[in-house]
Order: sequence, then C-alpha cells, then structure tokens
Amino acid sequence: MTVFSRVAVLGFGTMGGGIAQVVAGSGRDVVVLETERHRLDAGFAAVRRFLDDGVSRGKTTEAERDAVLGRLTGTTDVADLATVDLVIEAVTERMDVKADLLGRVAEVVRDETVLATNTSALSVTDLAARVSGPERVAGLHFFNPAPVMAVVEVVRALQTDASVAADLVSFTEDLGKAPVEVKDRPGFLVNRLLMPYLNDVVREFDDDLASAEDIDVAIRLGLGHRLGPLELLDLIGIDVHTHATESAYEATLDPQYAPPPLLRQMVAAGYLGTKSGRGFRVGTTEEGHSR
Amino acid sequence: MTANTLTVAVLGAGTMGSGIAVTAARGGHRTIVRDVDDESVRRGLDNATSFLRKSASLGKLTEQQAEAAIANLSGTTELGDLAGADVVVEAVYEDLELKRELFGRLDDVVARDTLLHTNTSTLSVTAIASGSRYPDRVVGTHYCNPAQLMKLVEVAEGRHTSPEATKRSMAFLDSVGKTTVVTKDRPGFILNRFLIPWENNCIRALEAGAGTVESIDKAVVGALRHPMGPFTLLDVVGLDVHKAVAMRLYEQLREPRFAPPPLVDRMIAAGDLGRKTGRGFYTYDSTKSFGA
Ligand SMILES: NC(=O)c1ccc[n+]([C@@H]2O[C@H](COP(=O)([O-])OP(=O)(O)OC[C@H]3O[C@@H](n4cnc5c(N)ncnc54)[C@H](O)[C@@H]3O)[C@@H](O)[C@H]2O)c1
Ligand SMILES: NC(=O)c1ccc[n+]([C@@H]2O[C@H](COP(=O)([O-])OP(=O)(O)OC[C@H]3O[C@@H](n4cnc5c(N)ncnc54)[C@H](O)[C@@H]3O)[C@@H](O)[C@H]2O)c1
Repeated sequence: MTVFSRVAVLGFGTMGGGIAQVVAGSGRDVVVLETERHRLDAGFAAVRRFLDDGVSRGKTTEAERDAVLGRLTGTTDVADLATVDLVIEAVTERMDVKADLLGRVAEVVRDETVLATNTSALSVTDLAARVSGPERVAGLHFFNPAPVMAVVEVVRALQTDASVAADLVSFTEDLGKAPVEVKDRPGFLVNRLLMPYLNDVVREFDDDLASAEDIDVAIRLGLGHRLGPLELLDLIGIDVHTHATESAYEATLDPQYAPPPLLRQMVAAGYLGTKSGRGFRVGTTEEGHSR
Repeated sequence: MTANTLTVAVLGAGTMGSGIAVTAARGGHRTIVRDVDDESVRRGLDNATSFLRKSASLGKLTEQQAEAAIANLSGTTELGDLAGADVVVEAVYEDLELKRELFGRLDDVVARDTLLHTNTSTLSVTAIASGSRYPDRVVGTHYCNPAQLMKLVEVAEGRHTSPEATKRSMAFLDSVGKTTVVTKDRPGFILNRFLIPWENNCIRALEAGAGTVESIDKAVVGALRHPMGPFTLLDVVGLDVHKAVAMRLYEQLREPRFAPPPLVDRMIAAGDLGRKTGRGFYTYDSTKSFGA
C-alpha cells in the first residue's frame, strides 16, 4: 500500500512548486491550493519550465514531463482538498497565515489526514497547537530546489504522533529522498548548523577579513563546497536568512544566531541577493583578489 | 617553466613540505628541500618522487614532465645550502619560536630580496616575521593539504609585509598553478576561521542529540551538498589535529566557539583519532590515509 496516495500542497511558490513536482513524480496525484488563479498559472508555468529544462538536458523525457504535469491539479477552493491523505503546507513564512490556513484545511479534511508544514524558521509545535488534532501535525522540511536536493527533514513536534512521523519517513523515502528525523528545535538540524556559519562569515566580511569573492573562492576550493557562503546567501535571499536567524535568536538567545548588523542594513537598503539584483556578490563591482 | 626559473627552498620535508616541493618542482623551479636529518630529507624526497611517478602513471603528467620535475628536486640538511634561493617556503612544525628563529638564521644565508614564505595554519604571520630583520619580505602562504593536489593558497600579509613582496609572492604562486586569495593576518585566515567553529558546532549538535553521526553527515551532504559530512571530514583530518588547531585559535580569539567540545577530548583519550587509528566517529577497515 502506498503511503499517502493523494496529496495536497498549499502554496505554489518556489517551494510549493518544487514539492508538488517531486510528489507528482512519485506517481501520486497532487492538488495544489493557491490564493488566486494567476498564481496557480504562474506555479504551473514554473514547474513546466523546470521539467522542460530537464528534458533539454536529458534528465527526463517528454512523456515523464507530461505525466507529472498531468497528475497536478490546481484549485483556489479549500473544499477541493477534502479527500487527501496528506497536506504539505508551503505558503508564506508567517505563523498567522499558516495557522489560519491549516485551521481551515483541518475542517475539510478527514481527522486522520496528516498536516505537514514546510516551514524553515517557525516552531512546528507552536503551529500544531493552533490546529485541531495537533498529533497529526509534523514538519516536512524540503530544501530548495526541492527536485534537486536529496534530503528532507522530518520534524517531530512535541505533539506529533510517532506513527505520523514514521509514515512521513516512509513517504520521503518513497519520493526518492533521504529522510532525516529531527526534533522541533530552531533551525531543525541543517539550518541550526548553517546559520551560525553564515553569520560568522558576514561578520568577518564586514570586518574586512577578505573580499567577498576571495571568501567564496577559498571555501569552494579549500573545502570543496559547491557554493561559497556569500554567493549562497545571495541565493537564499538576505531577507530570508535574516528572518530565519532572527527567529532562531529570539527562540534561543544564543548570540551565534543574532543577525550581524550588516544583514539588517542590506535588507533596509533592498539588497536582498539574486532576486533583487544586488547582494554580497550579485550586482557588486567589487574586484576580488583571487585569480 | 619558461618565463622565470627560480630556486625555491622548502624548509621541512613533512606532509606539507613534500607537497609544496612537488608543486614548486612541477612548476619548473629548482627545488631544495631542507630538513633536520638525512632520514627526514630522504623520506620527504621519496614521497615527492613517488607522487610525481604516480602522476605520470595516472596520465596526469607525461613521463618527461615527471622526470623533469624529479630532476628539479634535491635535498640538504645544511641551511647554508639555501644561499641561492629566490623563495624560501617554511613548513616546519607549528611552533612560533622555531619559525622565528629559522627566519632569523635565514637572514644571514639568503639574499636581501629573497622572499620568506610561511605555511603556518594558525600562528600570526606578523609574529613569525618578527624573527627576521627584514619582515617586509615575509608573507603568509597557507597551502591546503595535500598541497600537491589542492589549488588554493591563502596569502596573508603581516603588519610589515611590503606590497612588493606580496605581488612577487602571488606571481610565484601563479607560476606553480595555484589560485590565491588574499586575507588579513588573523587567526585561521579564511578557511580555518570558518571551518573550526563549523566543525565544533556539528560536534555540539551531536552532543546535544540534534542528530546522529550518520544523520548529521547525511543532512549536510544532502542539503548543503558539501563533499563530505562534518564527521567524515573530522575523521580524515584527525581529532588530535582538529583539537590542536581549535585550541590555537581559541587561545588567540578567546571565544568559546573555537574551543573543542568535550567529546573531542574523550575521543582522543580513547585513541579514536579518526582514519589513521582505524576509528573515529566511524570505524574503518584500513588506516590508509586519503589523497593521491
Ligand atoms: N525558499 C526556500 O529556500 C525555502 C526552503 C525551505 C523551506 N521554505 C519554506 O517554504 C515556505 C514557502 O516558501 P517559498 O520560498 O516557496 O515562498 P513563496 O513566496 O515563493 O511562495 C509562497 C506561496 O504561498 C502562497 N500563499 C500565501 N498564502 C496562501 C494561502 N492562504 N493559501 C494558498 N496559498 C497561499 C503565495 O501566493 C505564494 O505563491 C515557507 O514557509 C518557507 O519558509 C523555503
Ligand atoms: N598538515 C596540514 O594539514 C597542514 C595544512 C596547512 C598548513 N600546515 C602547516 O604546515 C606546517 C608543517 O606541517 P606538517 O603537517 O607538514 O608537519 P610535519 O610534522 O609533517 O612536518 C614538519 C617537518 O619539519 C621538520 N623540521 C622541524 N624543524 C625543522 C627545521 N629547523 N628545519 C627544517 N625542517 C624542520 C620536521 O623534521 C618535519 O619533517 C605547520 O606550520 C602546519 O601548521 C599543515
């Protein structure tokens, strides 16, 4: 028997699109909820672009692309989610938005339907507490881009039923991803480790340790990372990282998570990274020393 | 090497010295390796020679290139034999007094414009340079292990390093195929400055039960696409080496994040140093170390 054969994805943005594509790729039917028709259209177009790119690079076939797209349906009506076995929430990173939406979804789905959130920085336990049947709530934290990244964190809230976590682990494996079970702690596992490192780099960069390019080159060549920390921050979004590390700081009061002043300044200046055209590396004229 | 054949002296024929010697000799420079006794010199030259032969058998170099590089290599125990060096690369033990003293003695041996490079990982370039009467010619050039394979060199200027010396050093490193980055003379430069707290944090996450050795490695490799998880890497580096580097940074920076967590001490006490002892965070069948 397949775990969770009918799946709903809430939100068709960056993550919702990637997650919907991955789940449909496993042969499951997926219904995606958005706020407006045009956002659904944009989400479908993004998934199609991703798959078209895969076809042109020989990673997938046209038949597979069409099959994946064929398993996706969109809706703006919560009532259309009534029959799903699993809901994966990937809407805007705000507790009020998520809690309100999951509350409405909880009213239409079955009592045993599992409600998973893709939040990065909010407490799954807090969210579960605001939903009826909190024992069926868990975190299912995909990384961006979801179709590419091999790992998914399965987050157990304080209330999460053991069987729910176990089913999500099997589900993740069935998607072809490696599940990592983690507790509901700020940053879960990966971001808990990543955020202090990125903050450290930002602080040292601000203190003129080296140029942004040289820091990235050193980490790529010296440690074999695909991306240096500052180009990674540009991709993540300076605002997204700042918000996440700020939340972790508030939750722990651990100074490693305190956002370095430069981050807040960059957000204030609108330097958000790749998406705004200016960040640590993107859109700068800085000349690195490396050659 | 066509443009400019230099004479390069390498002090210390250990892990780093023999790798640096390979780099210099392969880059076309006459390379003299100096260590304290004949056996250490021989061992370093043997390692360098067998690496170059292996490169040829793997097709990374032609036979002629390998033989030319080997012909560029020589060894000595006499500091006086380094008189004609254009560049001296110091890769002896990580000991400030030893390095300072060596640079002072070199002042009496080499020409005034000979560059003095230190491969220190954690000591201050400025402090090492103070051993020379001419600190303007002392430059930090931090190679990565294995130096014969890793392209990166971090270049750090001491307080008195002249821009001219830095420029000539970068040109030399360029001539041997290295990619250079420029960093301040601060503890750990770029790599160790960020790597040590990262590794310590991963160990602390393990101690705190945030994951297991396997799950943390899996998460880091899968989600951040690092080539190795933190514990696999620590086993390669060696827990004793990690502790030594971490403690030196901690002593200078005085920030607890750099201090090795207690698990490191316990593993060292148990003899679980990593790959080289067959057991660290993981257990290994063979203690053969990595690299070519
Ligand atoms: N982007 C990342 O790198 C990343 C990685 C892991 C997790 N996350 C998390 O995933 C979630 C989504 O992030 P994203 O980057 O995809 O954001 P996004 O802004 O790209 O997409 C969010 C989408 O949710 C939709 N939405 C908002 N309210 C809705 C509602 N009430 N009903 C239906 N749809 C609604 C929006 O219209 C938008 O299309 C967040 O919780 C974020 O923290 C993001
Ligand atoms: N091993 C690494 O990963 C690594 C990486 C980058 C930098 N470093 C730095 O490189 C330096 C050397 O490290 P290593 O790992 O090669 O050490 P090592 O112990 O393998 O080699 C040191 C060598 O120096 C020799 N030596 C000692 N005193 C000497 C002297 N007065 N003159 C000439 N030779 C002398 C020793 O006999 C030994 O052969 C250290 O400063 C270390 O911090 C090491």
